[in-house]
Amino acid sequence: MFGKMDWPGRRDEEWIRTDIRLFKLDKFSLPAAREAAAAAPSSVLSEGVELAGVSVSLDSWPSSNRLDRRWAEQGVLLGSLDQLVVEHGERLRPFLQRRIVNPYYDKFACLHTACWSGGHVLYVPRGVVVDQPVHMLSAMSDGRVDFGHVLVILEDGAEATVLTETAGFGETDGGLHCGATEIIVGRGANLRFVNLQDWGQGVWHFAHQRAVVGRDASLQWTVAALGSRLAKVNQHVGLMGEGASCQVNGVLFTEGKQHLTYHTLQHHEAPHCHSDFLYKAALQDRSRTVWRGMIKVDPGAQKTDGYQRNDNLLLSDHARADSIPGLEIEADDVRCTHGSTSGKVDDELVFYAMSRGFTRREAVRMIVSGFFQQIFDRITIESVRDALGHAIAARVREYN
Amino acid sequence: MSEFVKVAKVADMPDPGKLTLEVEDSVVVLFRVDGRFYCIDDVCTHDGGPLGEGQLHDHAIACPRHGAKFDIRTGRPLTMPATVPTLVHEVKVEGEDVYVRINEA
Repeated sequence: MFGKMDWPGRRDEEWIRTDIRLFKLDKFSLPAAREAAAAAPSSVLSEGVELAGVSVSLDSWPSSNRLDRRWAEQGVLLGSLDQLVVEHGERLRPFLQRRIVNPYYDKFACLHTACWSGGHVLYVPRGVVVDQPVHMLSAMSDGRVDFGHVLVILEDGAEATVLTETAGFGETDGGLHCGATEIIVGRGANLRFVNLQDWGQGVWHFAHQRAVVGRDASLQWTVAALGSRLAKVNQHVGLMGEGASCQVNGVLFTEGKQHLTYHTLQHHEAPHCHSDFLYKAALQDRSRTVWRGMIKVDPGAQKTDGYQRNDNLLLSDHARADSIPGLEIEADDVRCTHGSTSGKVDDELVFYAMSRGFTRREAVRMIVSGFFQQIFDRITIESVRDALGHAIAARVREYN
Repeated sequence: MSEFVKVAKVADMPDPGKLTLEVEDSVVVLFRVDGRFYCIDDVCTHDGGPLGEGQLHDHAIACPRHGAKFDIRTGRPLTMPATVPTLVHEVKVEGEDVYVRINEA
């Protein structure tokens, strides 16, 4: 299929604002076995957090993993997908065979399906409540590739918190990430899933991410994107069981010539479901973001309550944010709303702060923090809130 | 500051003519009009459209998507829907070769 499919064209609606002409696949090689085990970069999200377990991959190869015995004894599985499909194939096969992410969606999905390696899996059996977060770290060295596949499965009534992080070693590191994330939240289960994308600013990042949420289950999904040269992410939540709910929080901060594109889809497939997507982006220098959101409501999904919003804060005259919310509703008894705002930092606010003794940079930093506060208030994990707040504040530059 | 990069032979460019090029980390359009060379980003500031695929009339290039026109000498927008200039890159001719230096502004 990969060979038969064309690369996305500039006339494809999904790629019309995302130019990948400078992306050259032949500059990259398939993940090669590492000569020697190297240390992964330190984690940002899990600092000071007592973890149930960790799984680490480096350049798309399993690096290390650990799971507390307490959870292993209850049947929880955590580790490299590479290894666990061999050791627990019978258990994982039905979930992999569901093809939560469409392997033929586009050429990048085909490339991932053909070449995936490394990645992580978490499996939580029925009714098990893992009350400590699990941490998954995918690291990539300069110029290498990451084809990691992340699979998170919560059986009926299970609960877990997953912190996933993708990171490079240097700020300007290059490379290619072509990944997929599949999340299955069983009936009545409850998942908090956090993803921080913090690659070096030379990385091409292509990702397909999809969650399916069962009856009366809930998913809180927080996405933070700070790194990469160009990112194109398809994030899809399928509310498949009656009464399912999901909340998605997106934090994007871009600088230099970074280009981040997020296409989100909240798909209401069953009645009485609730979805709430909030994406906020702050952009400086000549960076660019594209957010295209869609609420899709199937004919039978009556009493849907769907909301999507995207706010953009432009910190420089040369930054650009495209925001395209959309609705596709086939049921007749629903409440679906959306909103989008884009604006610059208010000079009067900066003037007021400076009149109270703050420098311009401090003033802008406060305004940026305030802009993201609405999302930080929704993030219930303290270490994640702190890590994102610090990372963003450190990136805000001085503007005249 | 970036360096001049050799991008084309003078003899290979028709007059008037245009050529889309990948130079360092940018995609740019090189123009030749009345014997002189110009270079701008291959980006329409309205919708990101590929200017290199548009029609060239004198010193104006029209975006193929929505018709916005830009002055290839200055990058300035000449018509709606574009309101912001596109980036201009420096060009020089030495002997038979054309060089471009990417504007890192």
